[in-house]
Amino acid sequence: MTIEKPFLLKRILAAATVLSLVLLVVMFLGISMGSTDSGVKAVFLVLLGKGTPDSILDTIIWQLRLPRVLLAALVGATLSLGGLVFQALLRNPLAEPYILGISGGSAIGAISGILMGLSRFPGVSLTAFSGSMAILVLLLVMSSGQAILKKDTLLLSGVMVNAFCAAIIMFLVSITQDARLHNIIFWLMGDLSLSDIKQVAILAAILLPCFIVIFYCSHAMNLMLLGKEMAQSMGVNIKVMMVTLLVVTSLMVSLTVSQSGLIGFVGLVIPHLLRLLIGPDHRVLVPACVLGGGAYMVFCDLLARVIPKQGEMPAGVITALIGAPLFIFLLKRFRQ
Amino acid sequence: MLLESIMKIRRFIIVLLFLMTTCFLGYAPSFARVVTDQLGRRVRLPDNPQRMVALAPSITEIIFALGQEHRLKGVTMHSDHPEAAQKLPKVGSYVRLDLEKIVALKPDLCIAVKDGNPKKVIERLEDLKIPVYAVDARNLNTVMDALREIGQILDANESAEKLIRNMRSRIQRVKTRVSKSAHMPGIFFQIGISPIVSVGTDTFIHEIIVLAGGKNLAKGPVSYPRFSREQVISLSPDILIITPMTGSAAFEKVKAQWSRWPTIPAVQKGRIHLADPNLFDRPSPRLVDALELLSRLIHPELFEEAQ
Repeated sequence: MTIEKPFLLKRILAAATVLSLVLLVVMFLGISMGSTDSGVKAVFLVLLGKGTPDSILDTIIWQLRLPRVLLAALVGATLSLGGLVFQALLRNPLAEPYILGISGGSAIGAISGILMGLSRFPGVSLTAFSGSMAILVLLLVMSSGQAILKKDTLLLSGVMVNAFCAAIIMFLVSITQDARLHNIIFWLMGDLSLSDIKQVAILAAILLPCFIVIFYCSHAMNLMLLGKEMAQSMGVNIKVMMVTLLVVTSLMVSLTVSQSGLIGFVGLVIPHLLRLLIGPDHRVLVPACVLGGGAYMVFCDLLARVIPKQGEMPAGVITALIGAPLFIFLLKRFRQ
Repeated sequence: MLLESIMKIRRFIIVLLFLMTTCFLGYAPSFARVVTDQLGRRVRLPDNPQRMVALAPSITEIIFALGQEHRLKGVTMHSDHPEAAQKLPKVGSYVRLDLEKIVALKPDLCIAVKDGNPKKVIERLEDLKIPVYAVDARNLNTVMDALREIGQILDANESAEKLIRNMRSRIQRVKTRVSKSAHMPGIFFQIGISPIVSVGTDTFIHEIIVLAGGKNLAKGPVSYPRFSREQVISLSPDILIITPMTGSAAFEKVKAQWSRWPTIPAVQKGRIHLADPNLFDRPSPRLVDALELLSRLIHPELFEEAQ
């Protein structure tokens, strides 16, 4: 099981380099395409700082497209990392924040915040976090005691909690009679259109340390996949590890949900795809998920902006349209 | 002693603040006007805006009505009146504005509506150094206010006043005519088909129904209340007015649905009417057209006498 350290480092570096390149290419595409046309060369010039300052393209690239692309990368990284963590902790390939109801809980919190008229940050983010924590506590209580690691109980509770959350969201939407309804419906489908650089910076300042904490726990995640007794005998404090990982993941997910709405399937597709490509070692998978998930989300958001002739569609539509069939395909291949 | 020094410091601060404000006021460049818009924001207006973007169809109509369309460089989706507006570049719909398209048009002034355009978008435009003036056009009076405000901004005071006078006299004419009738039919104004949605008291359609001599059966605190079929039947409306967003084929379908309920007085008397949704879905100067149309539908007897 133990892999030699230098070899491991090499694998992490190799995966990170390849995926960073993919991420950079996709980010460049995301920055150079949008609802207004401009040549690739002009975009290059602006990015190199050689464009005319204060030109329209300059504003569009630095103040509209760049924050949006960065936000998409952060959201994608968080969601696929969230999926990876839940799949490891619950030892179930179907686990994902969206499916477990953690996203749904944040959405209920966030919608309540919006209806109370709170500001997007920190007001709505806080209500979203309390929503997701409430769901998490509920999940843990429902499958409490030694049953924590029994994957079916927790997953089944999660699926039911998610259905319940969906019902509450529909209830809140249907009793809302005013103009805010429009915003909520778009936001529910995943909306990245209103990102400014300050908001992205705050988000990054909270999310990046979370990524590091999860990377720090990645070896423990490997051991926990081998089973409770095995992990304990290898010196992993299971309870502490589980609570840390669950709380950190919920914090990350609720933050991204309050910023960008409900975006599903990223946490299923990316970890599975990467596991197929680079194997099950979480020490490699964690950085790979951050980079690969980011690239996937930037790509989906780009499609959401470019496909419709007028306006744009919610990014969540694209992630689900690509994600669900891909997931079914993967599932079939796993079975064979 | 201590008290005295505190007083001194306080006096000093007051003088300092006074000096600072006077300096600031004196510093403001004279070529740009700073006005307060209907959102209570201070907006620095360009002197002679040449590249305007209207962020709602109603604003487009107001600018065209003022004869200032040469200043307009962009409009929102569904800005279909007058016909010339359809040819202007579109910047998304009024609830989902495309920031990139707006920036690319390089506007020197955007006109927004207070309720409708998301506040976040307006803030983002401000961040991008694009001045946004928000008007609060939501019924006949505020449409006239918006006409006057935008007229002032665009140096078109005269045509604004002329339009307002014209609107006032047409409203008055309808009022006088309707006052001759003692009878106020109950109206169910259906703006949403599935679910059935009508209009509450705080809407311009309610205002028009009342001015046109009708009784709005859906009045109440909720602006756009939903109804079940049962509730509508029990309200027994004398007239059903339907504004389908999806064309007249949808109207025939809805009409057929209602016709299954002969207990409704409107069905008995065949008073189910189609109204052009474009007239009724935006608070533009054409609200007066809507008012005249509605009063004719509600009180056809008064118009027959007049002819």
